[in-house]
Amino acid sequence: MKVVVDHNLCEGNGRCAEVAPEVFELRDDDRSHVLADAPAPGSRPRIDLAVSLCPRQAIRLIAE
Amino acid sequence: MAALTPDTVDIIDPDLYVRRGYPHDEWAVLRREAPIYRYERANTDPFWAITRHADIVNVSRQPELFHSIQRLFVTINEEGSPAPDEAILRQLLNMNPPEHGAYRAIVNRRFTPRGVQGLREQIDRITAEVLDGIVDRTECDFVTEVAARLPLAVIAEMFGIPRADWAMMFRLSNMMIGPGDAEYAGDETILETLQRARMEFFQYFSQLCEDRRQNPRDDLASVLANGLVNGAPLPIFELMSYFALLIIAGNETTRNATSGGLQAFIENPAQWARLKGDPSMAAGAAEEIVRWTSPVIQFTRKATADTNLCGVPIRAGDELALFYPSANRDEAVFDRPGVFDIGRNPNRHIAYGIGEHFCLGANLARLELQVMFRQLAERLESVESAGPLHRMRSNFVGGIKHMPIRYRMRPRA
Ligand code: HEM
Ligand code: SF4
Repeated sequence: MKVVVDHNLCEGNGRCAEVAPEVFELRDDDRSHVLADAPAPGSRPRIDLAVSLCPRQAIRLIAE
Repeated sequence: MAALTPDTVDIIDPDLYVRRGYPHDEWAVLRREAPIYRYERANTDPFWAITRHADIVNVSRQPELFHSIQRLFVTINEEGSPAPDEAILRQLLNMNPPEHGAYRAIVNRRFTPRGVQGLREQIDRITAEVLDGIVDRTECDFVTEVAARLPLAVIAEMFGIPRADWAMMFRLSNMMIGPGDAEYAGDETILETLQRARMEFFQYFSQLCEDRRQNPRDDLASVLANGLVNGAPLPIFELMSYFALLIIAGNETTRNATSGGLQAFIENPAQWARLKGDPSMAAGAAEEIVRWTSPVIQFTRKATADTNLCGVPIRAGDELALFYPSANRDEAVFDRPGVFDIGRNPNRHIAYGIGEHFCLGANLARLELQVMFRQLAERLESVESAGPLHRMRSNFVGGIKHMPIRYRMRPRA
């Protein structure tokens, strides 16, 4: 599984980084950046939570 | 008293909010017995009362199926109250995808964590000044003298509004959000109060915009005045509504979290001792304060198609009211929801909403509350209630109008 943030949609409010800091990082461009292309399986629940919290529906999960 | 049942609870009469505060017992009955409840009473148009955390999340996450609408909250039918369409003009809160995102993007960068961190010093300074204002006394009205001042000053500062005009903004903002409250409205009807407040707003902010178009600065007023949607500037009325929204939304809500937060500490001395012992707990405290106080009582949605929630059929055109304070005491999500615990972790409250309309100012409100409670913890040597609370007459934004306290405060370190 791959995690992708669409930077045209992301508004940088940081909700994803709040709940899954090991996967998402807000940078100086006010966009969320994915830290690990293939995150550890243990992060999955937090990634799902981030997806559900994201106000702009900017996070997508792509099955490999 | 007779046992409460879904058909006997009253969750919207604004006078009840003055008398008893939030109807937590009533919401608990609805959560337990009728979480998707058709609220039909003689004094209001019918709506669905949504009271569980999971259902509010579910509705909020489908912004196309459940539209945000002009009528932001459900209320009783009162003489002189504005017809739904007049209550508020077009702005973020009643827009829907896809245009909603484009409008939000205009100011968004000023409200990201990085955007608001840039304000930390100003917020620290304004907070210290506000507390200096009561340091020489032992009694004050915590709402008007402390809680009300910080959010207003911060948003005014962000806009680039000169200090001399801050008091006027405070008054207008009260009139616009609490037009049904006699203390703010004087002898006028609700509609008259709203109209007068709106006119004064319009005059002031259209001038401000004109100025910032001629002489743009690094402030929020300039960002708005020069903002584009699909390559075109906003029409003047929408621009004015945007200003009004940012001032109002950031003002009463944070104020009420601040006063309700201190009240919670007065009632829970062990939590107060905990924060005083370790002011770095202010971040967690700010979250728990917002869960506990849930300053926004409800927002509405309207179904755009026939659907169902938990098997209950909802018809296209039906209105729903999402009761956030109820979700934030939901037994299914929170361990001991009726306990104020500043160390609560995780704290999945939805006091700032969730999904498409998630509070634009959440990062700002958090920072303001963190700074305020950190400084209060450092400077207040003692604090207690010095008289009864006076609550605002509103079933939309829950508010404490007056909160007399007795205290001892240390001068600035
Ligand atoms: C403790 C303080 C606050 C609380 C509890 C709060 C609560 C909320 C809630 C529940 C919503 C969601 C509305 C919906 O889903 O329909 C919202 C939206 C909004 N809030 Fe806040 N808010 C707070 C502070 C602020 C501040 C400081 C600002 C600063 C300007 C602000 C600006 C906004 C705006 C502009 C929206 C509309 C967003 C949209 O529709 O896209 N709020 N707020
Ligand atoms: S939650 Fe969504 S919009 Fe917010 S920073 Fe993360 S990806 Fe961007």
